[in-house]
Amino acid sequence: MILSRRNFLVGSAALAAGASVSVPLFLPKYHLVRRAKRSRVAILNVERYSQGIDQVLASGLRLFPIDVQDKTVVLKPNLVDYIPGNAINTHPILVLAAAESFRRMGAKCVIVAEGPGHQRDTELVLSQSGYRESLREEEIRFVDLNRDELVRTQLCASFMGMKSLWLPRTVLEADFLVSMPKIKAHHWAGVTLSMKNMLGVVPGSRYGWPKNILHWKGIQESILDVCATIPVHFVIADGIVAMEGNGPLNGTARTLGKIVLADDPVAADTTCARLMGFEPDRVVHIREGAKFLGNLSPVLIDQVGEIPQPPMTPFQVVPEFGHLYAL
Amino acid sequence: MSRRQLPSGGWAALRWSAQASLETTCLGALATGSEDSDARRRAQDFLLRVQNPNGSWPAFFGDDHDGVWVTSLAVIALRDVVRAIPARLRGTGWLLECVGRESNWLWKWKFRTVDRRVRFDPDKFGWPWIPDTVSWVVPTAFAILALSQLPCSCGSLEGIPIRIDHGIEMLIDRACPGGGWNSGNGVVYGSALAPHPDDTAVALLALGNRTQDPVVQASVEWLEHTAVALTAPWSLAWAILALAAHGRAIESLISSLFALPDLSRNDDTCTLALVCLAADHCRALAALGVNL
Repeated sequence: MILSRRNFLVGSAALAAGASVSVPLFLPKYHLVRRAKRSRVAILNVERYSQGIDQVLASGLRLFPIDVQDKTVVLKPNLVDYIPGNAINTHPILVLAAAESFRRMGAKCVIVAEGPGHQRDTELVLSQSGYRESLREEEIRFVDLNRDELVRTQLCASFMGMKSLWLPRTVLEADFLVSMPKIKAHHWAGVTLSMKNMLGVVPGSRYGWPKNILHWKGIQESILDVCATIPVHFVIADGIVAMEGNGPLNGTARTLGKIVLADDPVAADTTCARLMGFEPDRVVHIREGAKFLGNLSPVLIDQVGEIPQPPMTPFQVVPEFGHLYAL
Repeated sequence: MSRRQLPSGGWAALRWSAQASLETTCLGALATGSEDSDARRRAQDFLLRVQNPNGSWPAFFGDDHDGVWVTSLAVIALRDVVRAIPARLRGTGWLLECVGRESNWLWKWKFRTVDRRVRFDPDKFGWPWIPDTVSWVVPTAFAILALSQLPCSCGSLEGIPIRIDHGIEMLIDRACPGGGWNSGNGVVYGSALAPHPDDTAVALLALGNRTQDPVVQASVEWLEHTAVALTAPWSLAWAILALAAHGRAIESLISSLFALPDLSRNDDTCTLALVCLAADHCRALAALGVNL
């Protein structure tokens, strides 16, 4: 076969065009790898919210080589809205216990920070959910991330196709950021755990209530981009009373009796998903996050204390997420 | 409020911040009393300086130039300022261009057929928080208030009445089943979501001339019942304004508002501005274009 000059040029152009379209599909969408060689997770058994949580949490934290001496610690609970009787928010007793523990560990300053995604009146959520009085009594500063100063921040991943987001200064300047999710099923994301909890830092004053741009760009993609950009140093997940079904607001309370601690958000969410009866690698943001943010494989996770066992009855989810169940 | 005003003329949302927030500045401009007050004039100058080239306003000083929902508030805050007329017209033009994404036929089709998890009628659309997203209650209510203030709808403004009508229909459609509004999701996966006092109040301000509508009546009842127990100044102040607009008694609510501890030391300047507006509710409602 003789290849004419014309055919060669046409073929080359076609090859170049094809490569320019397909190569980006195979390139990683993250710009840096935060995954540690090994991760550590601890499951603490706690039956109810009571003052005794202080002791349990303090001894749980001692299982990790945490150094917060003279650091600014930011605790990011999951505070979405308040509906009487619904287990929506991270319980304030757990947040206060965490603040007390980090203070005792030598933190320069402990701040609780959140930007509720549904409710514009953060003060109302704080007072109704029992936070306001407790924070005042313990003299813990709260920052409303929906109204904080904003800094344009280049994203360290490009899953949702945005180059930058305006993000709150308090979170960006934290020396040690602790994601404190409520373990819940979620009707858009499947689960809301330590990684999904980080969408709360996206400011409502810039992006609205709810932060609708993240829905349009893809929730799983948004979670990955935000977690790639804002490193989570530690996770304290509230699974004492969790939520199943139509979370994050209207699901059913489900007593799990666990607090999950981890030095890696992917490992934390992997463990929480197993405790809910799900296969972690079927949750898109956990599976993709395991490529660059943390560890999913049990071989790479040092499980301290209890081994995560799936529940006798898995958590209920909306029909779209039926594929999350372990076989 | 005067002490917290930044040298630029704007106000930051939080006391310790130096980043001027447009929502806070607009509420601050409305709250700082008479038209000839220095604080108000400086705030209006600031608003005129930071308008985006496309006619919109940013969320805060230094923001990108694509514009957000506070454009409505800026148009309201510059009302009666003669030198601001061109800026208000450009802002109005941007508001007329800005539509919820569900107004597009493709998304309308999607929400009618494939994606029916949130119950709403995509034919009834209003304004988004930021461009390229769907309509929500608060930005739609503020846009209705802003557009309703314009004295005429001629020339390039002829689209105003129909946009207002669509916006009002959208608000009625997005109400929660028992009355009141949250951000705009009344029913999700078959479950009714709870209304919020502040969102309800803002929607009711925009629906001030729909007092006979059963949704409005149920929402006023809900807000009146809920406001009694409110201890958060932001929601309580919005409730006072809305209930006053709908002719309900607000004296005891005003007493409750000013009995809240540490009100003037609230770190949230946006809330402080709103409290000032509630304290002077007759003037505030007039500024918002709501007729008592």
